[in-house]
Amino acid sequence: MTVLDIQGLSVSYGTPRGELRALRDVSLSVPERKIVGIVGESGCGKSTLISAIIRLMAPNARVRSGTVRFNGEDLLALPEARMRGLRGTEISMVFQDPMQTHNPVLTVGRQMIDIQYRDKRSKADKLKRAAEMLALVGIPDASARLNQYPFEFSGGMRQRIAIAMALMARPSLLIADEPTTALDATLEVQIIKRLRELQDEIGCSILFISHHLGVIAELCDEVVVMYAGEVVEAGSVRDVFHNPAHPYTRALLECDPGHIKEKTRNLPTIPGNIPDLVSLPGGCIFADRCPQRHDACTEHPVLSEASAGHRAACHLIKAGAPA
Amino acid sequence: MSALLDIKDVVVRFAVRGGVFSSAGSIDAVSGVSLSIEEGKTYGIVGESGSGKTTLARAVAGLHHASEGSILYRGQELRDLPEAQFRKLRREIVMMFQDPIGSLSPRLSVKSLITEPFRIQGMKGRDLDAEARRLLAMVGLPPEFAARYPYQISGGQARRVGVARALALDPKLLIADEPTAGLDVSIQGEMLNLLARLQDELGLAIMIITHNLNVVRHITDRVGIMYLGKLVEEGETDTVFSAPRHPYTLALLAANPEPDPDAQLMRIELQGEPPSILNRPTGCEFHTRCPFAQARCSTDVPSWQVAGPAAHRCHLPASWEQDKVCPA
Amino acid sequence: MSDTSLPKPRSEMGEILHHLLRDPLGLVGLVIVTLIVGSALLAPWIAPYDPIAMNIPDRLQGPSAAHLLGTDQIGRDTFSRVIWGGRVALQVALPTIGGAVAIGLILGMAAGYGPKWLDTLIVLFFDTLRSFPTVMFALAVVALVGPSLNTVIFVIMATSIPTYGRVVRTLTLSLKEAEFITAERALGASTLRIMGVHLLPNVLGPLAVLAAMDIPTVVGLEAGLSFLGMGVRPPTPSWGSLLNDGYSLIRNTPWLIIAGGIPLILTTIGFTFLGEALRDVVDPKLRGKGGK
Repeated sequence: MTVLDIQGLSVSYGTPRGELRALRDVSLSVPERKIVGIVGESGCGKSTLISAIIRLMAPNARVRSGTVRFNGEDLLALPEARMRGLRGTEISMVFQDPMQTHNPVLTVGRQMIDIQYRDKRSKADKLKRAAEMLALVGIPDASARLNQYPFEFSGGMRQRIAIAMALMARPSLLIADEPTTALDATLEVQIIKRLRELQDEIGCSILFISHHLGVIAELCDEVVVMYAGEVVEAGSVRDVFHNPAHPYTRALLECDPGHIKEKTRNLPTIPGNIPDLVSLPGGCIFADRCPQRHDACTEHPVLSEASAGHRAACHLIKAGAPA
Repeated sequence: MSALLDIKDVVVRFAVRGGVFSSAGSIDAVSGVSLSIEEGKTYGIVGESGSGKTTLARAVAGLHHASEGSILYRGQELRDLPEAQFRKLRREIVMMFQDPIGSLSPRLSVKSLITEPFRIQGMKGRDLDAEARRLLAMVGLPPEFAARYPYQISGGQARRVGVARALALDPKLLIADEPTAGLDVSIQGEMLNLLARLQDELGLAIMIITHNLNVVRHITDRVGIMYLGKLVEEGETDTVFSAPRHPYTLALLAANPEPDPDAQLMRIELQGEPPSILNRPTGCEFHTRCPFAQARCSTDVPSWQVAGPAAHRCHLPASWEQDKVCPA
Repeated sequence: MSDTSLPKPRSEMGEILHHLLRDPLGLVGLVIVTLIVGSALLAPWIAPYDPIAMNIPDRLQGPSAAHLLGTDQIGRDTFSRVIWGGRVALQVALPTIGGAVAIGLILGMAAGYGPKWLDTLIVLFFDTLRSFPTVMFALAVVALVGPSLNTVIFVIMATSIPTYGRVVRTLTLSLKEAEFITAERALGASTLRIMGVHLLPNVLGPLAVLAAMDIPTVVGLEAGLSFLGMGVRPPTPSWGSLLNDGYSLIRNTPWLIIAGGIPLILTTIGFTFLGEALRDVVDPKLRGKGGK
């Protein structure tokens, strides 16, 4: 069963220079009880993708084509009222900045009661549930801390609270947008571990966006690599990280400093820049930065299978070149 | 040979304003740090938020006042040096800031920005156009960038402008505060390679401040690991990375996972949250999060123990036998 | 190597004008403001009559080819008086705002960047000035030294200083902590250089917006005081005295009060539009939003 199924999604922004094609023909799916990671660098379209899924898009954004199915329903065709009903209950979000996601003038307990407004239970019950949830994300002395304001918590604690609030309604999909980027590495590890446990317990699916390859490798079941608004590779974490089939994925993995064992004063990089999304070159979008560029690259490659369940958009796959 | 920079027992203290009912106090953001940097070498200071690494860097750059200890630059005491005299040294000790775009004056063109050091240090006689061209070429930016403004360039490009400005007057010591912060993985390497290249060409010493161990692994000669204002371990980079002794160093290394789902992780998991500097734990600062802590860790302050090319501050340091860690 | 010159950055003024003209609001504002300022500057040449020359036989005439906006009760040409009145209005508004901005800028920057005791002192001064109600203060000064153009300028300027000063102080306080100021300090820049080269340009933009929006207020205040007989003394033409003259004759000769009112409204619209448009343009980051 697939919780989230995105097919052929293209989103553009109207700009004075012309149409900026931020997402082009993006397809991905998040199966039930799985964690799918999205990896990509600035300008790859991660933020546009999230805003399209929860339908909170910038005023100059326009969906050109595609469907976003959530448990079978096309989110892009839903009336606004129904969409509002889904957000926060069926689809929850955790954002990057734990310092700005809470209302500063309400206690944490009050905020956690507020988000249960659809429930008919008593206030005491709701508070009890809030305390249980906080304990679950690893906040000691949870019921006492419900009376505190967000500023009384550290960054790591606030992100735990944000996760607790997001999972309170037992959503079927949690979208986590760089949830650990603002945190220190040792805290990141703690929170990732907790997230994994919670996902298992609640049985939800997670769409986890990060630029940190190590975290994706540790947390996710499947990974989608995005570049300049397109999906360039997708598959199980093991397949993609052990046998990357797209030159961009390979280069990205090589650049990760955690990957380089030998001490060197010349670290690998990906020379060049992301193409201009207003005037896109024809052909492969990675071609002008690709070390394996060849004649076929003037044509736009489609996603093709490198192995079962592992797809990449590169001409070299069909040519049977070694990955 | 004496060191270029010799820091001894430096304390940077900030006054904390008390509330209506509490009295004013003070916190030691940097609490007794000693280290030295040799000419032409790179020193990495690693620590997470609140460890005092940026405060230490700013104290060296004369932007914070050190309350105790000494900061010797080529034998000259920098602590308590009046600003008028420090100004002359600012040609030799330069700093790169964390926020690449935010550290550039927003209404100045790139040309004005990178030639500012000449104007500030009273070298208006120079051909500023030629200097701008030279500096842009040095950091790998085309001359057209001279006409741009900070809001018109990317984070990576702004970083290069920051490097060009810092190196305009041929400094001896560059303090780089999180030089790769906010950069994509694919261009982080570019920045580090640039620093390494310029160091080889210009022979300057670099002090790199970062929270990311992987960043300093390749380009530093020595590293110091800071926690709550103190160094917990320091030494030659290779030694610290291959045989870390302090549990916090172990945890930091483990917290930078490799992009490999099957990697055998040496998992040192910490407990709880980092304590507030306002409530410094007794004994060893790290005992509240340390997985190996014992009773005496919460009462006795561990002493600084030098062991070969590295030193650490721990009652129960990890020992290494045949590349296998045996935590106490 | 240095014979080929480096590309020159576009000047800040040119950039602002370029973007201002592309904004319909800014364009309208700029046209109206240019019209008002232009006619005020050129008053001696474009006003068809002497604004204070009486011509009793031609009194209270309606609009005609000879007198575009008619004449008043002593036969003065209303159109000429409107144009000369604009000159008076700007003679009051520009030095008032200019003076208040200049003093507010110096005090505000000193308070924001200087030591704590100076800040406390200057803020106390601002608060003291602000606690005077403008109209009461004006009436008191007028009672003391008598009504005149200079009195009006002095009163409005004194009461506007805290407004600008406080804005500058707040901006300076937040900019002081910005990383680029620390970076300049690390380069060894002197306090004077930091204030003049790095703080000032970043404070001027928001201040210009505020000042542009305040000009109509000052013009209106001058008109109000003159209307009450506390401002510009007759026979000097002022929009306020025009309104006063027209007020008593509103039933028979309404064009007189209309002629005094319309320039006031136009001034408000023009400068407000300009200020609104400036707001979007003075911050380089907001300039050409979405244009990249």
